[in-house]
Amino acid sequence: MSAAVNDVVARGRAGSVLRLRSARIALAVLAAIAVLAAFGPTLAPQGPLTLNTSSLFQGPSWHHLLGTDYLGRDVLSRLMAGTPLSVLTALEAVGIGMVLGIAPGIASTFLGRGFDFVANRVADALMTLPSIFFAVAVTAALGNGLVQAMVPIGVLLAPAYFRITRAATLEYSRAQYVEAAELMGASKFHLVTTHVVRKVFPNIVVTTASLTAGALLAVSFLTFLGIGVQPPEPTWGGVLSSDLDYLSQAPWAPFIPGALIAASVGALNALADAFRDRGGRGALALPQLAQITVRTGPTLEDANGSQRSVA
Amino acid sequence: MSVADLVLVASPATTAAAGDVPPRRRGRQIVARIGSGLAVLVPIVFISSFITYSLGALSNSDPAATILGQDGATPQAVARMNRALGLNHPLVVQYWNWLVKAVHGNLGASYFTQVPVSTSISQRLPVDLSIAGLAVVLAILIGGSAGILAAVRRGGWFDRGVTLVCSAVSTLPAFVVGIILVVLFATTIKIFPANGYVGPTTSVPQWLEHIVLPGLALSLQVSADIARQLRTSLVGVLEQNYVVGATVRGLPRRRVLFRHALRNAAGPAITVLGYDFPLMLAGSVAAEAVFSLPGLGQLLLESAQTRDIPVVQGLLLVISSFVIVVNLVVNTTLNVLYRTNDGTSA
Amino acid sequence: MALNDLLLDDPSVATPAVRGIPTREDVLRIDDLHVSVHEGLATAVRGVSLRVGAGETVGLVGESGSGKTLTCRAALGLLPAGCRIDGGSVSFAGQDVTAASRRAWEAIHGSQVGAVFQDPASYLNPSLTVGAQLAEVLRVKGRLSRQQARRRALELFGDVGLHQPGRVFHQIPAELSGGMLQRAMVAIAISCGPRLLIADEATTALDVTIQAEVIDLLLDLRRRNGLAVMFVSHDLAVVAELCDRIYVFYAGQVVESGTVEEIVHRPRHPYTKALVRVASGGDFRRRHLEVIPGSPPQVGTYMAGCSFADRCRFALGPCCSGEVQSVVVGDQHEVRCARANDVELSEELLPV
Repeated sequence: MSAAVNDVVARGRAGSVLRLRSARIALAVLAAIAVLAAFGPTLAPQGPLTLNTSSLFQGPSWHHLLGTDYLGRDVLSRLMAGTPLSVLTALEAVGIGMVLGIAPGIASTFLGRGFDFVANRVADALMTLPSIFFAVAVTAALGNGLVQAMVPIGVLLAPAYFRITRAATLEYSRAQYVEAAELMGASKFHLVTTHVVRKVFPNIVVTTASLTAGALLAVSFLTFLGIGVQPPEPTWGGVLSSDLDYLSQAPWAPFIPGALIAASVGALNALADAFRDRGGRGALALPQLAQITVRTGPTLEDANGSQRSVA
Repeated sequence: MSVADLVLVASPATTAAAGDVPPRRRGRQIVARIGSGLAVLVPIVFISSFITYSLGALSNSDPAATILGQDGATPQAVARMNRALGLNHPLVVQYWNWLVKAVHGNLGASYFTQVPVSTSISQRLPVDLSIAGLAVVLAILIGGSAGILAAVRRGGWFDRGVTLVCSAVSTLPAFVVGIILVVLFATTIKIFPANGYVGPTTSVPQWLEHIVLPGLALSLQVSADIARQLRTSLVGVLEQNYVVGATVRGLPRRRVLFRHALRNAAGPAITVLGYDFPLMLAGSVAAEAVFSLPGLGQLLLESAQTRDIPVVQGLLLVISSFVIVVNLVVNTTLNVLYRTNDGTSA
Repeated sequence: MALNDLLLDDPSVATPAVRGIPTREDVLRIDDLHVSVHEGLATAVRGVSLRVGAGETVGLVGESGSGKTLTCRAALGLLPAGCRIDGGSVSFAGQDVTAASRRAWEAIHGSQVGAVFQDPASYLNPSLTVGAQLAEVLRVKGRLSRQQARRRALELFGDVGLHQPGRVFHQIPAELSGGMLQRAMVAIAISCGPRLLIADEATTALDVTIQAEVIDLLLDLRRRNGLAVMFVSHDLAVVAELCDRIYVFYAGQVVESGTVEEIVHRPRHPYTKALVRVASGGDFRRRHLEVIPGSPPQVGTYMAGCSFADRCRFALGPCCSGEVQSVVVGDQHEVRCARANDVELSEELLPV
């Protein structure tokens, strides 16, 4: 596809995504969370650390919109204040994944079969390590910090980016127009990087949305387990964990941070779905094209609903 | 939401075969497939175990000093301890020694309690096995039936309900589900115990009681994935001509559904199971926290906090071996069920 | 011949019928069938009646969309989603199956009627060997043991002309050619001794030489076992080679029916005449691309009167209004034409 056509198509896709109502709702939710991530602590109506021992375990009221916790602190403020940490470390993990995954993915077409084999095996090996276990294990080595803990999460996200960019690059390097262009003198590397980046961009967008959701969950999980939490600093998972300790006094309490986590994860997934549906089937059909032999067997649907043949 | 859910599954497979092929030929095919599967796995095992081992090297901790304590940590004592622990060799040699010993069942001992790692692990392993096992069984039962029913009554209220529930469940992390279950069934309605663990050797009914809630919490995510995958594959398969072909031969409908349709539709669902397994393991850590179970996850948390490296390394090795074994089983199952035209994987 | 004796419960039916003359009950009888599509939006089969006698081969000819395939499917109880039988009846050997339950159909499929379709590979399970699929039918419906089923399956494969039954048994559909697959399909379809085989465009996707072989196979089966065949095709030449009687379909109706003699040499309906002309060009082996100008009406857009009127050069006023009835014009020869008995039409002969 010529560059001009690609541009038009890409712009069209972005526009059409917004037409989906679910995407608009998701974006609204995410925008709110982004604002909180940037300005959470300052926007909180009350101090997240302010104790108020006279009003413990209160339900929602005008003064405390989401009630108070076991130390009388305002739950709403705590959750708002805890947003930056969760969001930023999640993004950190995704960033690491991108950096570690995309470059090798593109490079593995050029660096020969040996590199390709090794890179694939490393990617497979990383996928066998359960993320949370690995993250906790790393804190044993690097110390009990959330930033440290998200590094292994990021590393474990890299195979996803690796696979996608590798598939796209492979497909392109074999495309006939690339051969033709090569014959006319263009360098293969230059061609592939220009076209691959353009073509794989929608896939990367979708992947990033889904993986950010996963990373966010991982952050909540880790803070729930007590990794990287320095009480009394609030985190989503930390609030959830302490709610669990006082379940008998306030059985409704865990639903609040739970709902927050679910809402952000759901919004990201919905966005990923919207991109997948409207972002152009051509681009997202890449994984199918990466398989050379024809299969007559069943197709695999990934968690976001698009279909591909099982590898 | 799974962490790496968009990654292409590396399993070989799909497409046809497996029927009344002469036993020798089938046997050879299966062995060949297992062989090639192993050939890919071996480097994976080495790489992941090496990553695991080098975590210890990453840490700045000085195990010799920690073990000897403040007073005993004289330079000579430390040097001697290092030699005893084998820490004076280059990393790769250390790694190899460790791996060799591990294969023989010796995973070293805790820096602090001197309890052999393998003992600690084998004490807690049954807990996780029980829960994970139950979770897998439940996931297959619940996810499988939901997926089949949704596909067979496509477009009906059940189908739409299942789709909705699946989307909702994907957003809920296992530990949130676990908490909800505890709130509902242990605190409010009080059917099942909220925490603790009783082994099957002590009392089977109590054992079952204690693993139901955590097992259920773990299974929900996987059930949803299986149900969704199975429904999609099955709907696609039911539209195929060969279902009509099987029907027109006069085969009973149940047989057509299970022997023909499901057989071809199940592949991706089985793959999903293998795929979600590491996620389920991660979830078991949550389950242990929520339900106060003395499992491997708790052991990991404790030893990570105290920086008890050998325990951490041993645990990670055991866990990733587990995952690899499960993947091997899943791939073999797929190979037994399907083969490609020329009998090779692609 | 032993082919059906093992499994047929009614051995007396094994006598082959004399060509063209129906004996005993009709194996299949369709009366005034109406089938609607798209949830009743349009009617694709409008009052079709036909019968297949024991041991007869009957051909259904027509373009795509003429309703012949839907009629077949209705006869098999396999109408696609959204399609319904709105009127008329279908019976097998006297048993009315128009509103039969799923269970009733399970008993009929395979035992009373078998079917082969256009793309045999797609109608077989791609994951199982063809032998396993045939043996399965024999075990489940014929109640044979594993051993017996296997032996019988190999016999059947031999009977349908497959050269290495032992080898074919262990192959999956993807490993077999179109011709071999079609033979395997026939084997599976007749394995439980049905009296009727419905073949829906069974030879359309095959090479000409293979086509001829499959046709010979069907003729052979008819001769040996008294198998009745309902053969659906758009290709009049193939139908004429195989069948005793022919029904010509157009726009959801049967516009002409009769023995193959009558239809080929003395077609009375203008559409049939055009079909014959297109199909022959002298003799049936050579066909040139003669086109009938115009195209059939889309399903649901039928006009009053004869559906062929807008393409018919003999059309007059009465052709375009009122329902056109079917008229008998000879021995077993019926035509649905308003001008059926006009001398002018009946003198229209084939160009030499």
